[in-house]
Amino acid sequence: MIKIENLEKVYKTEEIETTALNGINLHVKEGEFVSIMGPSGCGKSTLLNVMGLLDKPESGSYKFIDTELLKLNDKERSNFRKRNMGFVFQNFNLIDELTVFENIELPLIYNKVPATERKRLVNEIIERMNIVNRSGHFPQQLSGGQQQRVAVARALVTKPKLVLADEPTGNLDSSHGNEVMELLCELNETGTTIVMVTHSSHDASFSNRIINLKDGHVISEKINKNRTEELI
Amino acid sequence: MFRLNLKIALRNLWKNKGYTAINIGGLAIALSAFIMVVMYVGFETTFDHHIPNHNRIYLVGRSLPDGKTNYTPASLAPSMKDAFPEIENVGRSKKTDFEFAFSTDKGRVYGKNVLSVDYEMAKMFHLWPDKGLKKPAADGYDLYVPQEFADVLFPRKNLTYPRLVSIGPKNAGQSANIQGIISYRTDHSNLKFDAMVILNDVGATQDPKALNYHTYIEVKAGTDVAQLEHKIDGLFKKEMIKNGMSADDRMISGRSVIFLDPLDNLHLKPIAGNNTNYKIVLALGVLGLLVLVIACINFTNLTIAQTNRRAKEVGVKKVLGAYRMNLIFQFLIEILMQCLLALVIGLALTELFLPYFNGLFETSLSLWKGNGSLVWQLPVILIVITLISGVYPALVLSGFRPADVLKGNLQTSYKTLWLRNALLVTQFSVAIVFIAGLLIVSTQLKYMKTEDTGFKPAQVVYIQNTAWFNRNNFEQLKAKVNEIPGVNSFTATSNIPDGSKAAKSNYSFEGKEQGLDMITVDFDYFETLNLKIKEGRFFSKSFNTDTVNSVVLNESAVSAYGIVNPIGKTIRGCKMDYRIVGVIKDFKAQGFETAVEPTVYTIKNPCIASTEKYMLMVNVDQDKMAAVLATLKTNWKDLNKHDGDDFRYEFLDELYGRLFKKQEQLQSVFYGATVLTIFIAVLGLFAFSAFTTNNRRKEIAVRKILGATDLQVLRLLNSFFIWVVLIANLIGWPIAYIVATRWLDTFAYRIDVPLLPFLFAGVISMVLTVLTVSIQARKAVKANPVDALKYE
Repeated sequence: MIKIENLEKVYKTEEIETTALNGINLHVKEGEFVSIMGPSGCGKSTLLNVMGLLDKPESGSYKFIDTELLKLNDKERSNFRKRNMGFVFQNFNLIDELTVFENIELPLIYNKVPATERKRLVNEIIERMNIVNRSGHFPQQLSGGQQQRVAVARALVTKPKLVLADEPTGNLDSSHGNEVMELLCELNETGTTIVMVTHSSHDASFSNRIINLKDGHVISEKINKNRTEELI
Repeated sequence: MFRLNLKIALRNLWKNKGYTAINIGGLAIALSAFIMVVMYVGFETTFDHHIPNHNRIYLVGRSLPDGKTNYTPASLAPSMKDAFPEIENVGRSKKTDFEFAFSTDKGRVYGKNVLSVDYEMAKMFHLWPDKGLKKPAADGYDLYVPQEFADVLFPRKNLTYPRLVSIGPKNAGQSANIQGIISYRTDHSNLKFDAMVILNDVGATQDPKALNYHTYIEVKAGTDVAQLEHKIDGLFKKEMIKNGMSADDRMISGRSVIFLDPLDNLHLKPIAGNNTNYKIVLALGVLGLLVLVIACINFTNLTIAQTNRRAKEVGVKKVLGAYRMNLIFQFLIEILMQCLLALVIGLALTELFLPYFNGLFETSLSLWKGNGSLVWQLPVILIVITLISGVYPALVLSGFRPADVLKGNLQTSYKTLWLRNALLVTQFSVAIVFIAGLLIVSTQLKYMKTEDTGFKPAQVVYIQNTAWFNRNNFEQLKAKVNEIPGVNSFTATSNIPDGSKAAKSNYSFEGKEQGLDMITVDFDYFETLNLKIKEGRFFSKSFNTDTVNSVVLNESAVSAYGIVNPIGKTIRGCKMDYRIVGVIKDFKAQGFETAVEPTVYTIKNPCIASTEKYMLMVNVDQDKMAAVLATLKTNWKDLNKHDGDDFRYEFLDELYGRLFKKQEQLQSVFYGATVLTIFIAVLGLFAFSAFTTNNRRKEIAVRKILGATDLQVLRLLNSFFIWVVLIANLIGWPIAYIVATRWLDTFAYRIDVPLLPFLFAGVISMVLTVLTVSIQARKAVKANPVDALKYE
């Protein structure tokens, strides 16, 4: 589904140039759950941002089911993103001024889904995530685990082909972290492709494949046999 | 989408109630001030706009060797109409120089300003009596009065007209028919009148050469006015020569005499007259605009300061598919809502403060009537302030890069830092200009009120009188008034020193011609006003010639001619020779804005009818003032047999004090603008320093842990704002100096620009800043550093 070739990304300040991605090649199959690991500053978040069309690389190619995404303009990127991708962040990034229901509804509004359909879809996912009794609450009224559930619900409500998760358990304790990882696994089992950036080998163990980055290079790839068998 | 954005906006505003109140409150106060200014400027700039062709009407004026006048001869109007086809209509008016009493058995009203106009003029100015304008009989006239007059004269309602009234003093036995009521907004017109006489030919019974008419012309559309002015000038000169004036006379030779002054300019900046009204309107307009800009800057600054709070929202929305234009639109709508709320509160405040404003400027402005233009002005104001305050914050907010802000990297705040600082400096610069300006205006006003004017009006009572005296009957009245204990002196004159303009004529000394103000007086005029003699003597009954051909000049007249040892020398004017018997020291009869005019004082002057010497002044011992006034009131009927119907008087110092009114208005405007600007600037500073202090909580905590004392931290937090105010002072001072110098230049008698107001503005701004910032900083200083670090 995803074919990334020779991807390069350089950050420039007045004095220093930092190469964040240095000729990355990466293929992700449909229905795969890929973890990206590596030390701080290795470029994993940059890679995720490029994959999520939140950042532009200097060169390379990024094909998503035969569509070259790096040639799109800002508006087309925005349109592509909202139709095909969902995001889960480490710090949840829920809008504090909106309730749980409204936060989840937001991507549907940007996708111009009619109001009655929106209501149905949001209720459906709220039920699936087991947060029905929290739908009228504001983010600050929820625990970290609950907030991340809402963030996952928001990422899934548009039924995206690809979910990008940036250290989704980084701000959670282990029990809440496991809950979120199980949620992502369930999601993956229903056919959603997931790319996750993580520091945690425990979290990575939930995925099919683990890719290790260092200094902007892919230094190793490891297949998680247990999960891969499940996939097969 | 809109519903959700609205929710976010409202919840955000509610969450930051303090900032919201400061933001909207500051803007509402400024808007209220601005709305009043817009209404006032609108009122002042639309005088006579009810006349359909107001922009094609011109007043014909004349340039004199020593000034300009709007008086023209009655004969000019018909000649122009005959000669120039581009003139569609001509009209003339003549003011009555004295008061008329109108009386019936029920009551009496004094008309200070009875205006005579011809039928053409009435048509041109839409002077339509309630029952319609009709052409008066060939040699007759129609008298109309306003409703307020009629209510006093005929208390019974639903009257039919014409109705007979007495005119002048009762015992004069004159009467006239009032033809009806005339309703005209004289407060919004250049025509001022208490009663109006409409005639077929306003100049019919007058000397056609007499230069005492106002002539208006209405030109056809597309007329070349400059060319017409030139043609009228030629015609006027030809007529004057035909009437006996020499072609070399300095009144007409060697220059263009006639000018056409547009009706639209007459109220604010007439060619013949002063433009104080224009200056007040301009000053108010600029001040109002500045106050609003300051409030908008405040708004922008506070909104930008809070952008970080909205960064996450922007990032999330962009990730979820929002375009930048969506976000710009969302933030603009949010700011529009706040501006709309500020406008509504501003309108409520306007309604509250309008009575004070009307009291100060003697206007009758109202939000509800007579201001149709507000219907379009308010939406325009709303859109403009939304754009001024909103465009930049909307661009900043919508420009956040989601990849950065969702990770908590808010680099953009540095990009906007210079702008926020620049806006803060601008705000304080304006406040400093206002503080210094207010202090300078107040110093000049104090100077005007305390500086020696050259005469002492405090003990002088001006008695209003409509009777004309001859030598004998005036002496009888004078003798009786002088008998009252407490009366020091009593006199009559053609002009009292209340700023009114005196008639002017050419006088010559040894061949040198000079226009002099002419004031006819009676014995004791100089003594009554406590004027000081410089050389020679005042008029005295011991010298018989004083009532025939003696003059007293003022210092300015003597120096205008350059006369050395003037006493006993002769000047010539009004077709006779006069002997100079005294020179008085100059006194500021016209106030402080114009220099003392060269003036000639006479007891007898052929250029001024003796009938014009009807203004009475009495100098009274201060401690006997009440008793003297009571005696005069009781006995006035017997004392003044010619006009004893009512004893009416005014204190001369109060009349003279009215000359300062415009400057006092300006002082009030400055006062209001200064208070507003400081208030808004401090409000902004308060919120801004709260924001920056909050942003530096971690830094403060680290510094404290490393050993910084409270005072060091306070100094650290204050130092930036002290720099801001210092720079604002350096910018504000020269601007204040230039504006103050230009304003003071409009006075003939003025103070030098004082240094103190600038220092004061500096100190006030500094003290307010340190106080405001320290209140905020204290909280951060007193907080436990561990909390701040934990929070981070």
